[in-house]
Amino acid sequence: MFAKTIGAGVFGLNGVLLTVEVDISNGIPALDIVGLPDTAVRESKERVKAAIRNSGYEFPCRRITVNLAPADLKKDGSGLDLPIALGILAAAGQVGEVDFESIAFVGELSLDAHVREIAGVLPMAMMCREQGVKAMIVPAGNAPEARVVDHVRIIAVDSLSMVLAVLRGESKGITEEGDATPPGAVNRTEGKTDDFRDVQGQFAAKRALEIAAAGGHNLLMSGPPGAGKTMLARRIPSILPPMTMDEALEVSKIYSVAGLLGSTGALMSHRPFRSPHHTVSAAAMAGGGRIPRPGEVTLAHHGVLFLDELPEFPRQVLEVLRQPIEDGQVTVARVSSSYTYPSLFMLIGSMNPCPCGFSGDPSHECCCSDMEIKRYLRRISGPLMDRIDMNVTVPRLKYEDMAGGHEAEPSSVIALRVSAARERQSHRLADTRIFCNAQMSHRQLQENCQISSEAQSLLHAVFEKMKLNARSYDRIIKVAQTIADLARSEEITAVHMAEAVQLRLSIAR
Amino acid sequence: MNGVDKGRCGEDLAVAFLLDRGYRILNRNWRVKSGEIDIIAEINGWLVFCEVKSRSSLCYGSGAEAVDGRKQQRIIRTAMLYLQRYHRFNNLCRFDVIEILMSAPDHPELRHIKNAFGA
Repeated sequence: MFAKTIGAGVFGLNGVLLTVEVDISNGIPALDIVGLPDTAVRESKERVKAAIRNSGYEFPCRRITVNLAPADLKKDGSGLDLPIALGILAAAGQVGEVDFESIAFVGELSLDAHVREIAGVLPMAMMCREQGVKAMIVPAGNAPEARVVDHVRIIAVDSLSMVLAVLRGESKGITEEGDATPPGAVNRTEGKTDDFRDVQGQFAAKRALEIAAAGGHNLLMSGPPGAGKTMLARRIPSILPPMTMDEALEVSKIYSVAGLLGSTGALMSHRPFRSPHHTVSAAAMAGGGRIPRPGEVTLAHHGVLFLDELPEFPRQVLEVLRQPIEDGQVTVARVSSSYTYPSLFMLIGSMNPCPCGFSGDPSHECCCSDMEIKRYLRRISGPLMDRIDMNVTVPRLKYEDMAGGHEAEPSSVIALRVSAARERQSHRLADTRIFCNAQMSHRQLQENCQISSEAQSLLHAVFEKMKLNARSYDRIIKVAQTIADLARSEEITAVHMAEAVQLRLSIAR
Repeated sequence: MNGVDKGRCGEDLAVAFLLDRGYRILNRNWRVKSGEIDIIAEINGWLVFCEVKSRSSLCYGSGAEAVDGRKQQRIIRTAMLYLQRYHRFNNLCRFDVIEILMSAPDHPELRHIKNAFGA
């Protein structure tokens, strides 16, 4: 007796459809799973056995062989429990006539035959659409993300018996409660976020953050302790432009694979803001593991990677950032296979100017020796500094600024300007696959940026004087373009260029 | 009554129990180099390999508990040899455990665990 069902797995960020073949023959009773199963898959034996018994069906006391095809891919995760259980029941003749060719099953089984949520359902559903699988049975908790994909009928279930009822046509599964959130219009209201209204003064830093948010540029803030660097950074999400549908899909896919997509929201509606602690390992930053999982740079895709106390990060971890910043993707190679994850993020760093924190502060004496300061600053390598578009100093606030009582500009107003600037960018870059100025290649830069002759000659002078390199040249123009976008200007004028140059070259250290 | 006698007595009880329920006994104490199977019986086309465990008290745990993974593997290996010798590889097979608690001399408690384990 033989049966075949369709399951799904995730490799890198893409879903893969797997064929689960089940053969039942006489002989010594056993359940063998072949086809490179990982531990979680091998352990599914026990879950499947118990779940079948506990939902009132008979677990055949025969020799059962389960094959997971294609046999050369390593299968991991618990999502194969459901197709294996269905395959066994079908091979034992307990399901009846069902067209298993057109339905994919994903889900983990609990011992009492409940169907549990798994990670990566969104990319799996996308693959179902691509391969023309008409229906997909998913755990109820994963249904919202799966329903984002059109042309695939998504049936949400919460138990093995419900799956069988659906197959017999007696049930429609769990239908979506109330109105289904149409894709794109997802708005997960997460408590009130911090607002720039609470930050007094610090106009230079706010301006730099606005530019960074508008164009997706990298920024390093430097200042004495307590000046408000972290406070400023925490408020970045409140001014980030909304994600486009394409961006939201990409980000949701990553979070689905990482198992971080909450069951409430179908799509990620906010740009991610990741702030790993400085004890983070290089593998956690870039992505890694025997079967690689996305790291912080990927989880920050289309969002912000905030590194507080930049010099405290191990040098190895910071150097790992170089390739992702430059290429917008990171390739994790392991013996078994290599995976490429996207990593287009804006890097926001914060640091003190010296170990004691008061170097350059007019009102405090710095107690660090020259040597100490040098050693401290050397922790951030030149190549990494070269990739940072803007440096800004966050000075200690004066009493008058703080106790002034006048309210600062609220985030909503800044966000409007940022969105408008981003709008101009996506309009200009409409026929490319990129979304903001920072992602432009050298060629796209030459095609899209109109630089006035004064701005051109200013940049020329600076280039010669400061002995800039090609990367600096590109990055200055990108920032200048964003400043021009913020100013609703068609071309980059000398004023825009001057601000970009000043932001890049000011010694934040 | 020594340990061997007690085991023998338990197996006699188990055989009587199985016969009573319509099983046909094919072999008793079928022994090869790799191990021994207490009872090999047949019912409705199923070949049943039966392990009998007798206990006079629960001081050392129940009888069924004593059939641990290692013991199971030994029985399975022996059963394979049996299937091979009698060319019955394509038969329906089952592994049962019968545990017998002889706490009171005249009232042995017998428990039959069908399909107790598999490979």
